[in-house]
Amino acid sequence: MTVVQRQSPGRTARPGDAPRSGPARGSLAGRRRREALAGYAFVAPDLLGLLVFVGLPMALALGVSLYEADGFGGYTFVGLDNFRLMASDDQLWQSLRVTGTYVVAFVPLCFVVSLGLALLVRDHFPGVSGVRAALFAPNVISLVVVGIVWQFLLIDKQGMLSNVLRPVGLGDVSFLGSPGLAMVTYILISVWFFMGYNMLILLGGLKDIPREYTEAAMIDGASSWQRFRHITWPMLRPTSFFVVVNSMVGAVTGLQAFDLVYVLTRGGPANSTSTVVFYIYQQAFGFNHYGYASALTTVVVAFLVVTTGIMFVATRGGRFHAE
Amino acid sequence: MFRSDLPSPASVRPPTQLSRRSLLRGIGGGLVGATLLGATPLLSACGSDSSSGGGDAKELTFWNFYGPNPDGNPQSKWFVNLVDTWNKNNDVKIKLHYLPVTEYLGGTALQTAFSSGKGPDIFIISPGDFLRYYNGGVLTDLTPHLGADAISDFSDGVLDTRKVNDKVYGLPMEVEPLAMYYSVDAFEKAGLSEGDLPKTWDALLDVAGKLTNPKRFGVMFETAPGYYQNFTWYPFMWMGGASAIPENGKPGFNTEAVHKALGLWQDAVKSGAAPKKTKAEGGGNLPAHLGAGYCAMQQSGIWSVSQMETDAKNVKYGVFPLPVPAVGTYTTDMGGWAFVANAKGGNPKAAAKFIAWALGSTDADGVERMRQWNTVVKTNIPARTSVKDAATKAGAFEKPALKVFMEQVAPGGRGEPRYTPEVYKAISDAIQATMLNGANPAQAAADAAGKIDTFLKGYKGAPIL
Repeated sequence: MTVVQRQSPGRTARPGDAPRSGPARGSLAGRRRREALAGYAFVAPDLLGLLVFVGLPMALALGVSLYEADGFGGYTFVGLDNFRLMASDDQLWQSLRVTGTYVVAFVPLCFVVSLGLALLVRDHFPGVSGVRAALFAPNVISLVVVGIVWQFLLIDKQGMLSNVLRPVGLGDVSFLGSPGLAMVTYILISVWFFMGYNMLILLGGLKDIPREYTEAAMIDGASSWQRFRHITWPMLRPTSFFVVVNSMVGAVTGLQAFDLVYVLTRGGPANSTSTVVFYIYQQAFGFNHYGYASALTTVVVAFLVVTTGIMFVATRGGRFHAE
Repeated sequence: MFRSDLPSPASVRPPTQLSRRSLLRGIGGGLVGATLLGATPLLSACGSDSSSGGGDAKELTFWNFYGPNPDGNPQSKWFVNLVDTWNKNNDVKIKLHYLPVTEYLGGTALQTAFSSGKGPDIFIISPGDFLRYYNGGVLTDLTPHLGADAISDFSDGVLDTRKVNDKVYGLPMEVEPLAMYYSVDAFEKAGLSEGDLPKTWDALLDVAGKLTNPKRFGVMFETAPGYYQNFTWYPFMWMGGASAIPENGKPGFNTEAVHKALGLWQDAVKSGAAPKKTKAEGGGNLPAHLGAGYCAMQQSGIWSVSQMETDAKNVKYGVFPLPVPAVGTYTTDMGGWAFVANAKGGNPKAAAKFIAWALGSTDADGVERMRQWNTVVKTNIPARTSVKDAATKAGAFEKPALKVFMEQVAPGGRGEPRYTPEVYKAISDAIQATMLNGANPAQAAADAAGKIDTFLKGYKGAPIL
């Protein structure tokens, strides 16, 4: 007689599975415990690293934010004064506007460009690997080097771009010296740098979409746009969600929010590219206001945690209704 | 508003102030919760932290941006020789720690070292950074190690921005005045001669316009925000009789002279005669700009004479004093770096002794050492009279460019001011807003003056000069 085991939802009976009654229950529990322990062991190195290099500094920064810290070893307790000060710090608000503008422009633009590139290199064609590698190539270079190279290309009057644009009367445009244009240049260089990385992630997502769906839609006469709108886009949502969240966090606190700004413009001209991270750096290392800088850091991190938290809840971790 | 409402680092510290170590110890000891609530002060006692200074360490570190540089340039060799000579004759040894100039000036290494209680025993600073370190309590009084003859040997005013209450806290290596450089070729190609060198601001804009073409700017000022840009702009402010802070009964920053000085740079950029962005090397690099044909006239310091000798030997150039406004008096900004000793270092007394010996010795070796630094391995105006005399005797200022610096540029010059970072930033914002963002000079000056006044109301540190 065949014994049919009742399975828990989502679990398929395997030949080696023991019955869920009698003495076997103990061995199953033990195995689960061992599996759980193994899981924790795998996660432990990462968890430890996060605790030591992220968690602890965050806790210390929170502590320091309650002090006036002069950078020479002196700490004076000031309670929440550093946080109260933010409301009337117009330079902070200016830097938040810069960061906000950057996020609003960079995140969608980078996503659209990356998705477009991923769609272009999704299917095989001769040399596709080379094209993918070329698009990803900027990512293997340090952002500092990227900043220096672009600064060289964008030199006023004598840079390569000025020489190219001179015949159409744009040879005198200062790409990094005009406040409005400097921000646009900063955004475009960021997109150029990160589009290859996001492209690869989106490409992975595209490859995960079963071809049967697309083929069936083609048989039914669906156009390219309809296939994208009704198949690709919904099924790519979890990947898109990751790319958007990752880009947003990077745009606020990532390398491009400091390294690129520092090398390209030093926050100028006229504070037009002074992001909130760059402002925090100035407060700490320029003015020795370590307590205030820590308070700013705490608020920025809290903002990111809350924002991404809301995004996760609203989208059920990027699964949306399609899942 | 500027961030100045909280007690500035310059404020006199209350007796209950905590050290970095005690804070960390408190947090590490499980007091985080109490700290966050603000309910329990961290009262752990200060330990025998080496950062408190006063020790008798036998090896001292000397952070600088000259040597030992991997390329072994003459300035690097001078630093290495200086330390070698000292180490041969003294029990306390000095160890050089080289940082690239960009990291030293714009990076975080020095500040981070102090924040972690491991600041170097000896380091070099400009007047622009003096108050930050003095008010932070990390500068050692060098006066006990300097004889009266050594102090009086320094030229008039050179020590002013390194002194507090008549005590010397930094010993200058050099004096670096600012002037205008011009390209002889660019002038000749534009049909201009030496007689056309501008003497007034109006003439400067006029000549700059004539020298501008599709591939070259007529004149260049620093464009990147920072201490250096402020340093180069101050002379234009001073020429009209203005000052960043109220002094000697004069009003502060919001004056007509400041509006005009801001307006000069704005007009130069607006007219297209001056760039909105210098090259990556920065406005203090002459070979990269004037030497490379990027501009025909460039404001820079005396250091650029040696830069041109090294990196643009074949470029013909000249020097002339900064032009003056229609109503005003000529002056220039005289920069220069100074050795300072960390009061919280391993052996501040020995560090101070080393500095006094290195830069203040009045014996023949000491004078020759400084002559070498100022006129052989580098081009400066010596900060000391005896060194200046020895250099003059050796013919150091007979080169045309240096002769102009000695005879026309330096006389009437004024020492680089020691403004706090807060004052610097307010001025920097005004310069940037007017020069590059088209702001009204009067409005920008009023905004900056407001920030400066607010800051000064709560300021309790050493006098701002």
